[in-house]
Amino acid sequence: MDSSSPPSSATTSHTQHIAENGKKADANRLPLSSTSDSLNELAKQNVAPFLAKYHPRQYAPRRAEDGTTTVPRITNAGYCYRHQPDSKCSRQADEQSMQQLQRELETLPQSDQQGIAHVWSLFSAAPAKQRKLMLQGILAQCCFPQLSFISASVRELIRIDFLTALPPELSFKILRYLDTASLCRAAQVSHRWKALADDDVVWHRMCEQHIRRKCNKCGWGLPLLDRKRLREAKREIELRATNWGSQPVNTIVDGAPNGTCSVVELPLGGKRKIEVEDDQSCAMIKRHCVSPAYQPEPDDDYFKTRYRPWKDVYRDRFVVGLNWKHRRCSVKIFRGHTDSVMCLQFEDNILMTGSYDATVKIWDMETGEELRTLRGHTAGVRCLQFDDTKLITGSLDRSIRVWNWRTGECISRYNGHSEAVIALHFDATLLASASVDRTVKIWNFKDKSTFVLAHPEGVNAVKIDTPSRTVLTACDDGVARLWDLDTKTCTRVFQNHIGAVQQVIPLPREIEFESHLADCEIDHVSTSSQNGEPASMLSPTLEHRSLGTHPSSSGASFEQESGRLDPPRYIMTSGVDATIRLWETNTGRCLRTFFGHLEGIWALSADTLRIASGGMDRMVKIWDPRIPTCQDTYEGHSAAVNCIGLSDSRFITGGDDYQVRMYDFRA
Amino acid sequence: MSSQITLTSSDGVDISVDRTVAERSILIKNMLEDLGDSGEPIPIPNVNEAVLKKVIEWCEHHKNDPVTATDDDDNRRKTTDIDEWDQKFMQVDQEMLFEIILAANYLDIKALLDVGCKTVANMIKGKSPEEIRKTFNIQNDFTPEEEDQIRRENEWAEE
Repeated sequence: MDSSSPPSSATTSHTQHIAENGKKADANRLPLSSTSDSLNELAKQNVAPFLAKYHPRQYAPRRAEDGTTTVPRITNAGYCYRHQPDSKCSRQADEQSMQQLQRELETLPQSDQQGIAHVWSLFSAAPAKQRKLMLQGILAQCCFPQLSFISASVRELIRIDFLTALPPELSFKILRYLDTASLCRAAQVSHRWKALADDDVVWHRMCEQHIRRKCNKCGWGLPLLDRKRLREAKREIELRATNWGSQPVNTIVDGAPNGTCSVVELPLGGKRKIEVEDDQSCAMIKRHCVSPAYQPEPDDDYFKTRYRPWKDVYRDRFVVGLNWKHRRCSVKIFRGHTDSVMCLQFEDNILMTGSYDATVKIWDMETGEELRTLRGHTAGVRCLQFDDTKLITGSLDRSIRVWNWRTGECISRYNGHSEAVIALHFDATLLASASVDRTVKIWNFKDKSTFVLAHPEGVNAVKIDTPSRTVLTACDDGVARLWDLDTKTCTRVFQNHIGAVQQVIPLPREIEFESHLADCEIDHVSTSSQNGEPASMLSPTLEHRSLGTHPSSSGASFEQESGRLDPPRYIMTSGVDATIRLWETNTGRCLRTFFGHLEGIWALSADTLRIASGGMDRMVKIWDPRIPTCQDTYEGHSAAVNCIGLSDSRFITGGDDYQVRMYDFRA
Repeated sequence: MSSQITLTSSDGVDISVDRTVAERSILIKNMLEDLGDSGEPIPIPNVNEAVLKKVIEWCEHHKNDPVTATDDDDNRRKTTDIDEWDQKFMQVDQEMLFEIILAANYLDIKALLDVGCKTVANMIKGKSPEEIRKTFNIQNDFTPEEEDQIRRENEWAEE
C-alpha cells in the first residue's frame, strides 16, 4: 500500500464488513421480550451517548437497507496511535471471517443479536484508551479455555507484511540477510515484494559479497566482475536505498553525475591479467567498458541500453558457479598439433598453445578455428606467454623468441640459455626464464640488463611478482624458492616435496582462508601488519588497501618502502611426487598437502575460487584450497596432461595425446 | 551527573532507567550530550510504554557490549545467527517485533535493529512464496500468468 495515501474514509469503509451500526435498529423493530425491551432501554440510555461522544460522524442513525438484522460497523476509529493516522499499517479484517461472524450472529435470537451489536458498537466507537480498558475487563472475566481461544486467535491475527509496512530502507536491511534462493522466492510473493527483492540495492550487495571469492555463507564465489565498477556503483546504490519509493521504481539512472549503474563485466578468461589488477593491461579486454562517472549524459538511452540489473549480473555468475558444482560443462577439442601440447594460455577469445611439434597455434575459442600457426623454433615449444601486443616463447632449441602474434612475425630471438628453456614469465618490464641449465635468467626490457639466479639443478617453473619484486622458482632438487630481485638472493626455501617440483604459483592476494588456517597464522600476525598485505579474513578496508597499494594502480600511497609489497602470502607447488602443497611464504611452512593424483603433476593453475591440476595420470583435478580433498576429477585425455589454463568459467588443458581440450561451464 | 534518567513514552508513562543503559540509544546519547542532563524527563514521542520497556530490557542486557558503531559496512558478517538470549527476547508477536524494529531505528540502536531485521529475515528464509504470504498475511496480487512468469524468471536460484 502506498504510504502517501492519506488515511481516508475510503480506507475505513472498505474495512467495514459487518453491516450497519446497530444502534438505531431498536427503533423500528418489535421488542420480542421484556428483556430485549429493557436492553433497548439500557442501550438508549448508555450506548447512544457513548457513541455520540466518540463517534459523531458515525452516529447518524440510518436504516439498514434490507431492514434485517444489523450489526455494528467496525471502524478503525479506535485504532491506536500508530494505526489511526497511518493507514498503511491498519489491519484489514478479512472478508471471510467477517461473513462467518455475520452468519453465526444470525443464528442467535434477536435480543442476543441486539446485545452483542451494542457491545461491538461500543467497542468500535471507543478510543484506544477506552478500548484497552474494555479488553482488560473482558480478559479479566475470561476463563482459561476462553483465554486459550484468544491466544490462538491473536497469534493468527497479528501478521504484518513487514516489507510493505516498514520504510524501504529497513525492508532492504531485512532482505540483505537473505540468501539467493530466499531472495528469489521473496520476489514471487507480491508486486511490492518483487519490487523490493529484485532491486539493485539488494543485488549489488549480493554481488559485493560474492565477487571473486567464496562467500563464507553459501560457499561459492562470483568471479571476475569488475570490482571497480562495483565500488563505483556503491554510493549510488546507497542513495537509492535511502530514497527508494520517492522515485519510480524502475527508472534507475537519470543522467545523475555518478551514473555508474552500468555494469561492465570483464569478458571471461582474463584471469592472468586480472590477477595483476593492472587497469592498463586490462584495457584491451574491457571491450565495452563505459566510464560514465562524472559525465552527465544528456541521452537517457545511453544508460538504458547499457544498464543491466545487478540481479541479472549475479544470476549469470551464479549459474556458472552451479555448473561447476554440478559438473555441467561443454567440452571442445582443438586438434591440429602433431606432437605433445606443452603450454597454453587464453585471454578473452584467444587461445595459444605451444607444442613439441615446434609450433605455436593461435585459436579462436568460440569457433574452435585455428587462426594462425607460428613457426620458427627448431625444437619443441615448452613455454609461452602473451599480452595484447606480444607473445614470448621458450623452446627446447634453447632460444627465447618474441613475436608480434597479430601479424605472426618473429620480432626477436634471445639465446641466453645453454639448455632447453622450460618456463618463462613476464610482467611489466621484466622477463624471467627458467632452464635445464640450472639457471633462472632475469631480463630487463627497459635497460637491457640481465642477471642470473643460480640453482642446484634444472628449473621447471618461474613466476615474477612485480609488487613485491620477488620471483618464485621450482627446481628439480625438490625445492621451491623465493628470490629477492633487489638483492638477487634466495630469501625463502619451500622444502617438502619428494623429487622435482614441477610448478610453483602464487595464490591471488585476495584469497581468503577460513579459521582452519587462521590458527596457523597466529604466530606471525605482528609481522604481517607491516604493510597492506591482506589478512586471512580480509576486511573491505584491507581489501581496498591491498588494491590501492598496487604500484600499477595510480595514487598508491600506503606502502612503507617505495611501493614494495610483501610477497604473495600463499603459494602452491606441485611435483613428481603426485602431491600439491600449499605454503605460507612468510614462514616457509607447508600448510597443507593435497593428495589425489596418482602420478606426477605437471600442470597447476589457481584463482581465488579453485585450483586446477593435471598430470601424468591423465586426469584433471579441481581443488578448493580450503578443503584438503579433491572436489572433482575430469578425465578425457588419453595421455598425460602437460598444461592447464583456468578462468572463472572454464579450464583448458593440453596433453601428450596432441589434444587441447576446453571445458566450458558457462550457461 | 545523575546515573538515572527518565524517559517519557508516547502514551505519557515515565520510565526511569540507568543513563548508561539508555545511552545504548545513540539518539538519547547525543541528546544528553548536546543538551546536558537537566533531570527533566526525555520525551520519546514515537515509542509507547510497552515497546519502550521491551527496548530498555534489551539495552539492560546488552549494556556491557562493546560499542561497534562503525561496522555499518560489514559485508562479511551477513549471517543471520542470533545469540540465544536475543532469540528468546525476540519471541514476541509480529506487532511487537514490528514496533521494536521501528523503535530501534528511531532510537538508533544499531545492534537491536540488526537483531530485529535478522529475526524477520529468518521468518522469510527457506519458505516458499505461498508460505511467506501465509506467514505475513499477504495477498497474492499477481495474475496466474504473472505468477508463472515470475516463477520461471527465478528458477535459476533453485538448485
